[in-house]
Amino acid sequence: MALTIDPTESFKPYTLKHTLPAHKHAISSVKFSDDGRLLASSSADKTARIYSISGSSAIVRHELEGHEQGISDLAFSSDSRYLVTAADDRTIHLWDVSTGAHIKTLIGHTNYVFCVNFNPQSNMLASGSYDETVRIWDIKSGKCIKVLPAHSDLVTAVNFNRDGTLIVSSSYDGLCRIWDASTGHCMKTLVDDEHPPVSFVKFSPNGKFILVGTLDNTLRLWNYSTGKFLKTYSGHVNSKYCISSAFSITNGKYIVSGSEDNNVYLWELQSRKVVQKLEGHTDTVISVSCHPTENMIASGALGNDKTVKIWTQD
Amino acid sequence: MNAPIIDPLQGDFPEVIEEYLEHGVMKCIAFNRRGTLLAAGCSDGSCVIWDFETRGIAKELRDKDCVAAITSVCWSKYGHRILVSSADKSLTLWDVVKEERIARTTLPQTPLQARLHPGSSTPSICLACPFSSAPMIVDMNTGNTTVLPVSISDTGNGVVPPSRNRFSDGSAPFSPTAACFNKYGDLVYVGNSKGELLIVDHKNVLICGIVPVPGNAVIKNMVFSRNGQYLLTNSNDRTIRIYENLLPLKGGLKFLEESNHAGDEQDGFEKLKAVGSRCLALFREFQDSITKVHWKAPCFSGDGEWVIGGSASKGEHKIYIWDKAGHLVKILEGPKEALIDLAWHPVHPIVVSVSLTGLVYIWAKDYTENWSAFAPDFKELEENEEYVEREDEFDLMPETEKVKESDVDEDEEIDIMGVEKDSAFSDSDMSQGEICFLPADPSPDVPEPQDKFVGSNSKQGDSNQSVSALSEEAGQSGRLTSHISTPLEGNIKSEFS
Repeated sequence: MALTIDPTESFKPYTLKHTLPAHKHAISSVKFSDDGRLLASSSADKTARIYSISGSSAIVRHELEGHEQGISDLAFSSDSRYLVTAADDRTIHLWDVSTGAHIKTLIGHTNYVFCVNFNPQSNMLASGSYDETVRIWDIKSGKCIKVLPAHSDLVTAVNFNRDGTLIVSSSYDGLCRIWDASTGHCMKTLVDDEHPPVSFVKFSPNGKFILVGTLDNTLRLWNYSTGKFLKTYSGHVNSKYCISSAFSITNGKYIVSGSEDNNVYLWELQSRKVVQKLEGHTDTVISVSCHPTENMIASGALGNDKTVKIWTQD
Repeated sequence: MNAPIIDPLQGDFPEVIEEYLEHGVMKCIAFNRRGTLLAAGCSDGSCVIWDFETRGIAKELRDKDCVAAITSVCWSKYGHRILVSSADKSLTLWDVVKEERIARTTLPQTPLQARLHPGSSTPSICLACPFSSAPMIVDMNTGNTTVLPVSISDTGNGVVPPSRNRFSDGSAPFSPTAACFNKYGDLVYVGNSKGELLIVDHKNVLICGIVPVPGNAVIKNMVFSRNGQYLLTNSNDRTIRIYENLLPLKGGLKFLEESNHAGDEQDGFEKLKAVGSRCLALFREFQDSITKVHWKAPCFSGDGEWVIGGSASKGEHKIYIWDKAGHLVKILEGPKEALIDLAWHPVHPIVVSVSLTGLVYIWAKDYTENWSAFAPDFKELEENEEYVEREDEFDLMPETEKVKESDVDEDEEIDIMGVEKDSAFSDSDMSQGEICFLPADPSPDVPEPQDKFVGSNSKQGDSNQSVSALSEEAGQSGRLTSHISTPLEGNIKSEFS
């Protein structure tokens, strides 16, 4: 199932552990909760699922229905009590994780909502949309606190840093922008000379670097203070879809990403070498997530495949 | 909380009213240590905790036994507890996270101010300054009160032993005595009505030193800066004085005891004055020599670089800002309502003031968008610079194609996990589990027609009166739901989209 390329001395390859029951249409996002006990997947079939993890198996706990159109992204709150889903029906839904009940609908975006993320304090939410704005919402009241005139094309990703003071956003306009979360002011814009559409961005665990995925088959690690990129990861295929990537830090430091050649790629962080390609999906792997404490990766793929697969190192 | 690219705004001060908070009639305010939460005591006896980041209400502490106005509110060091003092002479200690009342005591007189011991994370000892008698240490668990001495007899025969439950100085009634803990709470600094600053060892109930304040006017307020290095006194002679704390921050009491034994000055009053002069040194005096205004609620900025004081004149809402060198840098003017409380945010250049009408105004820097942040290669200049072209600036050199060389060594090791200690909070003891935020419980949507949000500008958020879910909270009569409102007209610069 898994092919190993350039084995480093201590790297143990990941193997496929489980394939979860398929959604009805393409998967759009998979995420582990911060406490590691839950996994969630969202799909173009307008539903999201919450699974509970035991060992390395995952059992469906709730099916969240209620969106009128396909869901593009989801996020857990940091205490794992709430889940938000962002959909093409221009709304964001807030769900209670333990009961699966729908709590709130956040209305405000004027076009498809594409990406969503909580801040670490989980009292605010940031969302990016096809309407080119990033909105910041107050969880308690459900009101939109700020609208950031973020980009000139659709916003593909939003992410808070570890203390919730900064937000990074990326867009098809080729830019990554860093915002002050409390005031909504733009702090910095990062762009490369050739500015291919940016399909994904997230902060490193310590908040000093950002991992940027662009539609020229490249992943880069930028130091946003200096505005220079420090590492480049390539070998995968990414020119059409907004594929998410992740940091794997439980057993050595790696970058994990999906790819349009149906594999999941793992690179060693420092050496940038591809250490493994996880094969098994039958369509583009659109989203990956790393478990916070175990050596576990979850991946979700598009319409030909429609499944979430769980990989572990044993 | 300082990211390298956020402007170092620590050394700056606010300029305009950004927003106001409304919830009942608020009387006094206090920030938690990091400024993420703002506690406000209300006239109906409840204490509201605002989430300062979302400007919404995070919690409300309401006690059916206490319905009189709150006179002061104080956080414990790491945010686990809040102490409120009320006009019905009571002190109530709350557990913030559980929203439970831990203890409640009633004092013989209304406490105007109550402060929790700053040295511990779950303090039960507090310092209460009653309306017209000497300050006392109250143990909230047992209800015991220990009255602190506020003067020594002028014959200089040493300290008059304080007796319990008796006014220990024979000064005229209704003269408030100000008092505050030092940074770690081992000493209490008391300002009496004779214009003397007393340094008191509250455990042994002993005056260790005396500093006579020039002018000998009644001292109304006293507060330390956050780093414990400066002490501010507000006197009846309309002057704010800043003293430099000469004692070491930790173990100040020990140092005093040792120096007491070491010195061989005369006994009694003179000796205490000598000790006092080794503890505090007058640094600055602030006053408005033109209007000779009395000051209300003066305090330091979070980093101690600025001092603010509110004008105590009724009918005006003026906040004076001085720098440490003594220069008046700004006078903030708000709507024509008297100012009753003032606080500077621990980290940001934000000031919060409470007006007599019960509104809390948030003052912040008048932000002009940093346009160069939107384009990476642009740098803003203060003034025009003459640009001199190179000789070969416009030459076409087709043979040497400009190749973009990456001067980055991609093999260099980078650390994605390491985090630096937050320099703004030097004594942050992370093992204490500081409460920086309160978990938000979203209020469920009520199934009724949702009002549409008007497209809002980035500065202010949505206009108020979002009806749907918020108005359904039953059982709280007269309680306004929290909302963000656009600022008032008048002295406030109009916002632009």
